[in-house]
Amino acid sequence: MAEVKALTKKQEEVRQLIKAEIPWEPVGPTPMPEIPDLRSWDMRLLKTYKPWYAPFCDLCCLCTYGKCDLTQGRRGACGLDIATQQARIILLACLMGCSAHAGHAGHILEFLIEKHGPDKKIDMGTFIELEAPNIRTVTGLKPETLGDLKTVIEYVYKEITYLLDSTHFGQEGSYLDYESKALHASMLDHVGMEVADIAQIVGFDFPTSVANTPMIDMGWEAVDKSKPVILLVGHNPATSCTLIDYLRENNLYDKVEVAGICCTALETTRYSDRAKIVGPLSRQLFFIRSGIADVIMTDEQCIRTDMPIEADKVSSRVIACLDKVMYGLEDATDWDTEEIVKQMVEDKKHFAILDPEKAAEVAAQVALKISPRRKKEWISEEEAKELAGKCTQCDMCERVCPNLLGLGKAMKDISEGNFDEPQKLFNKCIGCGKCDQECPQHIPILRVMQVVASKETWRIRAGRGAIMDTEIRNVGAPLTLGTIPGVLAFVGCSNYPDIDDVADMVYEFAKRKYIVVLTGCAAMVAGMKKFQDGKTVYELFPPDFDAGGVVNVGSCVSNAHITGAAIKIANIFAALPLRANYEVMADYVLNRVGACGVAWGAMSQKAASIGTGCNRLGVPVVLGPHSSKYRRLYLSRKEEDDWRVMDARKREIVDTGEPSPEHIAYVAETKEKAMVMIPKLCIRKNDTPQGRSIKLNHYISLYRKYMGGGLPEDLHLFVRRDADIPLVYKKEVRIHLKEIGWQPKEPVGLPTFIGTYPTKVPLEAVIH
Amino acid sequence: MSAMIPFHRVNVLTGIKSARLIEDAAEYANLIQKAKRPLWVLGPLLSEWALDGKLLIEYALEIAKAANIPICATAHVKGKMVELGVKPDSVYDAVEIVNALKDPDWRGVKKEGNHDLVIFFGIRSDLEEQCLSVLKHFAFNHLKTMTLDKYYFPHANYSLPNFRKDEQWKAFLEDLISELKKGG
Repeated sequence: MAEVKALTKKQEEVRQLIKAEIPWEPVGPTPMPEIPDLRSWDMRLLKTYKPWYAPFCDLCCLCTYGKCDLTQGRRGACGLDIATQQARIILLACLMGCSAHAGHAGHILEFLIEKHGPDKKIDMGTFIELEAPNIRTVTGLKPETLGDLKTVIEYVYKEITYLLDSTHFGQEGSYLDYESKALHASMLDHVGMEVADIAQIVGFDFPTSVANTPMIDMGWEAVDKSKPVILLVGHNPATSCTLIDYLRENNLYDKVEVAGICCTALETTRYSDRAKIVGPLSRQLFFIRSGIADVIMTDEQCIRTDMPIEADKVSSRVIACLDKVMYGLEDATDWDTEEIVKQMVEDKKHFAILDPEKAAEVAAQVALKISPRRKKEWISEEEAKELAGKCTQCDMCERVCPNLLGLGKAMKDISEGNFDEPQKLFNKCIGCGKCDQECPQHIPILRVMQVVASKETWRIRAGRGAIMDTEIRNVGAPLTLGTIPGVLAFVGCSNYPDIDDVADMVYEFAKRKYIVVLTGCAAMVAGMKKFQDGKTVYELFPPDFDAGGVVNVGSCVSNAHITGAAIKIANIFAALPLRANYEVMADYVLNRVGACGVAWGAMSQKAASIGTGCNRLGVPVVLGPHSSKYRRLYLSRKEEDDWRVMDARKREIVDTGEPSPEHIAYVAETKEKAMVMIPKLCIRKNDTPQGRSIKLNHYISLYRKYMGGGLPEDLHLFVRRDADIPLVYKKEVRIHLKEIGWQPKEPVGLPTFIGTYPTKVPLEAVIH
Repeated sequence: MSAMIPFHRVNVLTGIKSARLIEDAAEYANLIQKAKRPLWVLGPLLSEWALDGKLLIEYALEIAKAANIPICATAHVKGKMVELGVKPDSVYDAVEIVNALKDPDWRGVKKEGNHDLVIFFGIRSDLEEQCLSVLKHFAFNHLKTMTLDKYYFPHANYSLPNFRKDEQWKAFLEDLISELKKGG
């Protein structure tokens, strides 16, 4: 009895936190869910999409019993096997990602509550009433103020603690339960990201309820190096927005150039369209070593951890602006500004300054003082040739290159004055600098590559935040019926095989009238290629969330607006209640929304949690080849797996035999293969014949384009009736289907997993 | 146990069990011929890499023919194979074929039972090593793996060394073809 009473008390507490008495929707079954609450949904997902583990290490070295060899069925001293160890590492990665965004959200909330007070209203503009789809769905709270967001982020913090607890020695022993926990952490990541971006939009007045945001200059040549240059690196806009304010208030904005790398660049340009974007993470070290930045202000996430060392090499000055990253620097937050400036200018010192206003003032003054004395020159052709000529072709650079690039050949070419091939190779460089430190001849390879670095500039549209409710109303029907073939989200970091890949994919699918949304480094690299008339995809395609639109949603934390859009389709278009109703939303998205994520250059732990959060919500994700190093995918086996769903209209379980979506976390070896897999992963069982025919048209035509002709080997699995066959391929497909003995099958009216596994959600809940 | 360090440092082994390094083409041919149901997993780099102007895919197809090994084409290599007049027995991406291979009850590409020897060739080395890791850990009871790429792959059962020169690799592949032809 005592246990029941305690539980009731807990439930009451949750109801209080989510203001359950406000009846905007009935409270669903899982308000502020804890680890076990969505476990049955996870297990259902994992039944079809089984974890695929590729261990990076054969050993476990996490405790002093180790190292333990886990090969050939061995268990460690604690009893853990290799699969469970992989799942544990994956959970840790997802927790790192989730906590990075939650920490970001917490910091930005503290800053903005200090600035505006906790009662600052959340207003996302005229066209966004459903302001926080992830928060509402997961927690059941409709946040109205910044203070409400604090309640949400405190819930996330609590769950992170319990999840991290489970990774300790001698706790969880099931890989499936670890996966369920990773899915939980990653769902929370989207909640944390949503908190962060709503706070930023409200607190900094970022664009919202608008599609046509300003166009921004991008590329290092867009940075006016004749002026003092302040470079912002990281993710947290408290630093950059305060800097812009300082420059504006002190009439310095014309005199100082502000540029950014990684997500801070995207955030800064949501605040000021005069700021410049240097590029994605892969351009960080390269740009820093150019010496163009006089002052580098760092905040958090994805910043070089050797920033002060690199800055010293080119006499740039570093200010660490956030406590997450302090580099062992002296904390000058309470110092007199003049003294900090003096030491930075005269003694070339770097400091941590955790007060954004003081950091902004110091950065501006230091930049103004040191800029005239600094050299900001690219390497000359002669110098590059001379340095490259020292190469002995030992291959050490290639051996350590994460992208497996043949740098020795590039050095030879450069030394001989041939720049064309090295220029192509530079486009594949992810900018880590490992080649430099390995070179026995001490050739500064990254600096030598300046001679082939593109001097082009590009135009990218500023991030626009959430998808508007009005846009969802317009596209809901065509998307769920399949006449808009899919929503594609290009997200993640810049660890791709080739910098052009993302732009090529965006161009291909926008042309085919998919809706394309982008965030983070992917949003930047999509704009770093020019197509016809010298235009980027942002100049060629409309910025609307509609067929053929290319939408820059914003930074990493804006990823929450992508999962939010999927939830909005279920809630606004299908009128399914979302409040604390995660399972119903995820089931709808998985079975009825043709959406697919593409994290082509996924590298960080944040990308792991963003992707895994998409997976729990039913959005499949295509990853680039590097991502096999995450160690885990979620794959089905189309011929063998169970493709039964409940037809909610008929209330019977139907064996569809149709693997849609086939995988939910998948690595494509090449861009060409991704081009073929993406349209396939947009197929859903509820497609109308017209919609299915459109989707199969893209699948077949892309297969023919990139796989050398013929018909896809698994085409028969996706053809339900003759009406599904695209008109243009009708004759050929009919012959093929006849040859292999294909039989038609009935489409499923209302496919759902509800009713196929133990769940508290009644079947009625998915009928709209 | 070999102390060979893989060419690409991303593939450095963190563990104890590493591939047996074989430099003798006759030994490789013997292992292939002894296998009851070998499978040839051919990747997209084979249509890009060439030795003395001859594409690696051409070597691969000669080996497949000499040893009568069924082919699984990954990524987009199928196009080049068809151009050369060969239809692969199956088309899967690297992670998909590995996913099937780790199931001992899988019926294989010929529907005759799972394979007992899987030979990888032409997949980018970090991904190939990860695929080999899957099979090393989750299929060690029912199959062995082998690689024909230019470098050493610790997670395989049998691997070539890091060939410093393309000529060495070319000589090995040519010897392997002739050994297989002899055996056939």
